[in-house]
Formats: sequence, C-alpha cells, structure tokens
Amino acid sequence: MLSRLNPRSWPITVKVPLAVAVLMILVALLLSERVLAGLTETQARHLRDLAQSYLDGLSSAVGPSILREDTWEVFDAIERAQELNKSLRPLETIVTNADGQVIAASNPRRHPIGSPLGNRQQALSSPDQSFSFEAGADTASAVRKLSYPGRTVGLIHAVFDTRHLAAERRNVILALITTNGALTLLLAAAGWILVARMMRPVRVLTGHLGLARDTSAVPIASNIVARQRGEFGRLFRAYNALVHSMEEHDALVKKLAEEERLGSLGRLASALAHEINNPLGGLFNALATLKSHGHLAHVRTNAIGLLDRGLLGIRDVVRTTLAVYRTERIARDFAATDINDLQLLITPEARRKSVTIVVANGIHGTIGLSSTPVRQAILNLLLNAVAASPDGAEVALSAEIRGGALSIMVADRGPGLPEFAAEILCGSLPAAPWRDGGGLGLWTTRRVITELGGHIDVERPPSGGTVLHLILPLKRAEELPHVA
Amino acid sequence: MGGSQEFDRRGLLGGAGALLFAGASSAKDLGLGPSIHFGLTPVFLTNDLELLGRLEGYLERFTGFPVTLVTRRTYQEITALLTSRQLDAAWICGYPFVAHREELRLVAVPLWRGKPLYQSYIIVEQDRKAENFTDLRDDIHAFSDPDSNSGFLVTRTLMAEQGLRPENFFSRFFFTYGHRNVIRAVASGLAGSGSVDGYVYDVVAGIEPNLTKGTRILRRSELLGFPPIAAPRSPIDEGRLSALTRALLTISTDPDGRAVLDMLRLDGFMAESPTLFDTIAAKAALVGQAG
Repeated sequence: MLSRLNPRSWPITVKVPLAVAVLMILVALLLSERVLAGLTETQARHLRDLAQSYLDGLSSAVGPSILREDTWEVFDAIERAQELNKSLRPLETIVTNADGQVIAASNPRRHPIGSPLGNRQQALSSPDQSFSFEAGADTASAVRKLSYPGRTVGLIHAVFDTRHLAAERRNVILALITTNGALTLLLAAAGWILVARMMRPVRVLTGHLGLARDTSAVPIASNIVARQRGEFGRLFRAYNALVHSMEEHDALVKKLAEEERLGSLGRLASALAHEINNPLGGLFNALATLKSHGHLAHVRTNAIGLLDRGLLGIRDVVRTTLAVYRTERIARDFAATDINDLQLLITPEARRKSVTIVVANGIHGTIGLSSTPVRQAILNLLLNAVAASPDGAEVALSAEIRGGALSIMVADRGPGLPEFAAEILCGSLPAAPWRDGGGLGLWTTRRVITELGGHIDVERPPSGGTVLHLILPLKRAEELPHVA
Repeated sequence: MGGSQEFDRRGLLGGAGALLFAGASSAKDLGLGPSIHFGLTPVFLTNDLELLGRLEGYLERFTGFPVTLVTRRTYQEITALLTSRQLDAAWICGYPFVAHREELRLVAVPLWRGKPLYQSYIIVEQDRKAENFTDLRDDIHAFSDPDSNSGFLVTRTLMAEQGLRPENFFSRFFFTYGHRNVIRAVASGLAGSGSVDGYVYDVVAGIEPNLTKGTRILRRSELLGFPPIAAPRSPIDEGRLSALTRALLTISTDPDGRAVLDMLRLDGFMAESPTLFDTIAAKAALVGQAG
C-alpha cells in the first residue's frame, strides 16, 4: 500500500499524464493571472475614461449653477447627465459646494440639500480629479474638483455601478477555468494515449518475459515483430533469437536426457550380457560332458540339470530384455508387474555389487500413471542407491498408493546423498542441469518427476544411508481414457 | 420683496429695450414685422414641440398672419417682453398681470373644467405625516417662479397672513422655474414640499401618474383667476391683436383648435373682466405690505 503511494513506483503511463497536467496547471495559472491583470487594467482604463467624460459633461453643465447654488438646475443637470450616460451606469452623483455641503444629489433622500459631505478642508485638499476602481468590486467612484480660476467652487462625487464588469470578470475567470481545465484534461489524456502507445512494445516484451518466468518462453508473434520498427523491433528480434537459443538448449538437454537413459540401459544390457555369458561357459562344459560322458546316467542327469538351470537363467535375462522393449514400444499404464520388472532389471547390477534388493510391492493391477517415465525414474533411483551402497548392503524399494498418489520409497545404506545431488533431485537447483562429474541421471529423474507433476523428498535417517520418497499424483479418473 | 422685484423689472426692461435695438434687423422673433409674436410662459405644461407646432399652425391659418411663438425660462422675461411691447400678446400668469395692470389689457382667459378659474396646491411627499401648512416648518420648499401666482404668491400670502417669511419659515427654498419641476423636486425628495399650479398638477397626474404618485396635495387654495392671455395696453398692431383674439375665442369651434385644447386639457378661451384677478391683486398687495 505504501509503495503504491510512492510516486516513484507509479507506472509511467500515470506519471507522464500527471506531469503534463501539473505543467498545464502551472501554465494556466500564469496565463490566467496575466489575462485577469490585463482585463482589470482595460476595465479600469475604460471606466476611468467614461467617468471622466461623464464628469466633464456634468462639470460644464453645473458650473455656473454651482456658483449660484441653484439647487434645481444642478439637480436637473445631474438627472439629465445620468439619463444620457445610462451605459456608464451612474449609481449616484453628488454635487457639493466648496464647504462640502450638498447642493444637489441624484438621491436627495440620502444626501439632502445642505447636508455635509466632508468639509472645506477635505474639499480644498482633494486632488483635481480622482478615480478608484477595484477589480471585481460592485462600484467604482470618481471625484472632480470644480475650479474657476484660482478658486475651488465645488466637488462632484460620482459612484458607478460596476457589477457588469465584475460579472464580466467572473465570466472570464469561468472561461479560463473551463478552457484550461479542458485543455489540461485533453493534454493529459493525449499524454496517456501517447505513452501507452509508446509503451505497448514494452508491455508485449514484459508479458512474454513474465510467461517465460511462469511457464516457458514463447517467441513474439512474427506479425507483431514485423509491425515494430526502430529499437523495439531490434529488441523483439533479439528476444526471439534468445527464445530460439533457449529452445535449442532445451532440445539439447532432452537429447542428453535420452542419451543418459540409453546409457543406463546400455549399462543394464552389459550386465545382462554378463549374466548370459556367465552360465554359457557352464553350459558348454555341460555339453562337452554330455558329448564325452553322455552314456553315463548320473553324468548325463547332472549335465542336463546344469543345462536346464543355465537356460532358465538365460530365459530370465531374455524376458527382462523383452520387458524393456515392451515398455519402450507401447504406451501403457503403470502396473504392479512393472515393479517386478524393475527388480529383474536391477538384479544383475545388484548382484555384481553384492547388494540385496528388498522389494515391498503394495500395488495391485494398473494405476493412472504412464508406465515408461515412472519406470525410468524408479530405475534411476535404484541404480543410484545400488551405486551408493557398500558391498553386501541392502537396498529397499517399496511402492504403495496413498492419498491419490503413487508413493515410492527407495532406501539405501550408503554414505548419504550429497547435498548438491539432493538439490538437483528436489528441484531447488534449477540453474545447471548437472555439474562436472555427474548428476545427469538425477537431473533426468527430476525432469521426469516434474513432467509427471510429482515431487521427491530426501530423508537422511540417523541410522545412516538415504531414504528417498517419490510422490507422483495419479491422474484424475476422467482423464484416464485419454491417457490410454 | 415687491420693491426689489420692481427694481429688477426695471433693470430688465432696460435690457430688453437694448435687445430690441440690437435684434431688430436680425431676429424674426423680436422684430415688429407683420408676424404675430405670441409669448408663452412656463405655466404651459411642457415644451412639447408638437403642441407648439399645432398651436402655431392653427393661429397662422386662422389669423392669416405668420406666427412666432416666443418662450423664455422665467415669467419675468416674458412679462418684460410684453410690457416693453415686443410681443403682440402673451400667456402670462395672474400675478404679473395684476402687477402690470396699468400697462396691460386682458385678451382672453382659458376655461378649465368650464371655468376661468384654477387653484394653487401645496404638495408634499406621499407618505409624509404633515397635516397642515405649519407642519412644513424648517422644510426644504420648492417654488415654481417668483412671478407665479400659484407657484409662489399664494403660498407667500399664506405666510404673510401669519407674519411669516420663507427664509425664516423654511430651512431652505429654491425656484425650479416650471410647475412640473416642482412636482419632480417633491417626488424625488429634493424638496420636502412645493407650491404648484393646481391645473398643471391635475393634468400631469392624468398624463404622468408615475410622477405625481410620490406626492400628495396638502393644501388647496381658493379658486383664482386662470393665467390669462394679455397684450400691451396700447397694442403694437390692432389688426393682428384682434385677429389673435378672435382666433383664441373661437378656438373650440375649429378641429385643429380642438386638438390644441385637448392637448392642453382646456375647454376654450373666454373674454373676461380684469376684476377676475382682484383676489390675486389683493394677495399681491398683502405681500407688498408685508415687505
């Protein structure tokens, strides 16, 4: 919340229009001040000129009457002047003698004849003519001293209605506010649109980068790239080249993983060949014995028994190979027999290392998981466990269905899984798929597990060794038909 | 008051005489040519040009003489022109007529509401509390003209009867030189009260009710002789004067004349005895004695 209040964290599409609006408001304030100052000056000058001409006319009309203090003539002159100068909106006109006493006023009730309006001192000391007008005020006033050579004979005080000028000023202010407000909004909106347009390629790029972070990098569509020119066009093409190289990299990694799988199969095949080769010597010996001593019943029986056992062993080896091929060729669901196949597959390697494989198969029939990747993952874990185990140790494998997931446990009595290997397996080390000196098998296993939506937990019991828990969620029932 | 007025009048007469010589050749209005010179005082309602045009048109057509209507700001100016025989006739006020009775003859008297009589009003603001004339003490008072009967003499006489003088009774007073102006002065609040011709006030109330709306009549005088048409006692030209007299006395029988009368809200003109103005003469005498 606080960071949202900090202007530095606002998006540029907000910042630029705001900056435009602030600048416009500053400019508008400055301009308005100038306009209003100009208006005030114009109004004052205009009004002063009109007031002077009004007072000029009235002065010449009442001059002789003031000398005679002819009340009626002065009053009549005021009334005529006010009537003639209606456009000037005279509110009140008062003519006084040099003693400041009213001779006649436009409103005699307020200023009766003879009532004082200032005193002689004021009348004599006042300037020949004065004018006062305040912007926005309702009235303006002017005073004219009437002098006949060397002598002040009277004063004319006039008050003018300036409400129309005040209204004009208000209208100008209103017009300034609405015009400037509209302009500010317009420019801010234009700024927003412009920035939004300019930022569109950035948004495209941001979107793609976000997608790359969340799932996988997707190149920017070619039509968008083609539309974009300039630096953003180059940026788009560079990004697409990056995505392309990432894809190549991924493909390479996949290929590596495949080769690793084939490698492990190769090792198995070599072990299998060894399995077949071992009894072959015995079998040829038995055959030779049969050829030379076949007529002897007990020798024959022994030789045939040897042949039988040797051939049975070879048959088992062949079956295993077949099982491997079968899974390679046909996509099918993982079954309980797969665990048996795995035992069969690992047995030669285990035997070579004098490691005993103890299997607890808690699965019945098939389960909603693809067979090949699961077998691959478990086999890799078993191979790893066997490799880590000291001679004569025991590797335990258990499989069961728990909480809608296939739960596999592989335990060994080895020195314990190295930290970097555990990180690779658990997926907390995404950067490099392997390190110098190994880890490819583990990384492949992790890829397979990730693809299946599962995870792996590494446990190091105090008694020693490593216990790996592989959890693979089963596919939902409705998805099953598609899987087949 | 009367003395100083007399002095002023003489001064003015001298001035008018000088004007006669100066303007004889150039001005049509004051020359003694064949045209009728008819003076009009501000007793007249307004300076309505249409009225003047119609009156001039009627008089010219009826008399067969060219007619020049002469107007001035004050009664005094017209009276001076008349007594100095620069006008064939003039519509003056009853007060100047009685003041110059020796020099003037009565030509005709207008008929208003069927009679050659009118009143003087003292008017005040509409919502003013005054009940009678004495309530107007310390007022600002608007008189019409110092030579006007209704606009000055009647009120002045009223004061003289109580031993009062305007300068003591009123805080201030001034002359507007027009009855309509008196109404304006009182309506606007420039003056608290005013002395005005009743005929003018009533006619203005009919024509411009907005003007009289703000005023009310505080006191009406007795009926007095209506401002008459007078001519110099020895006419400038008998023929022109008698033609003018006929034109006035028969004005109500002529359509153009009727239109003029309608505008003036008058019924016609009538030959009257100068005794009609005796009451005004009595007032002038009273004021003269009061000094």
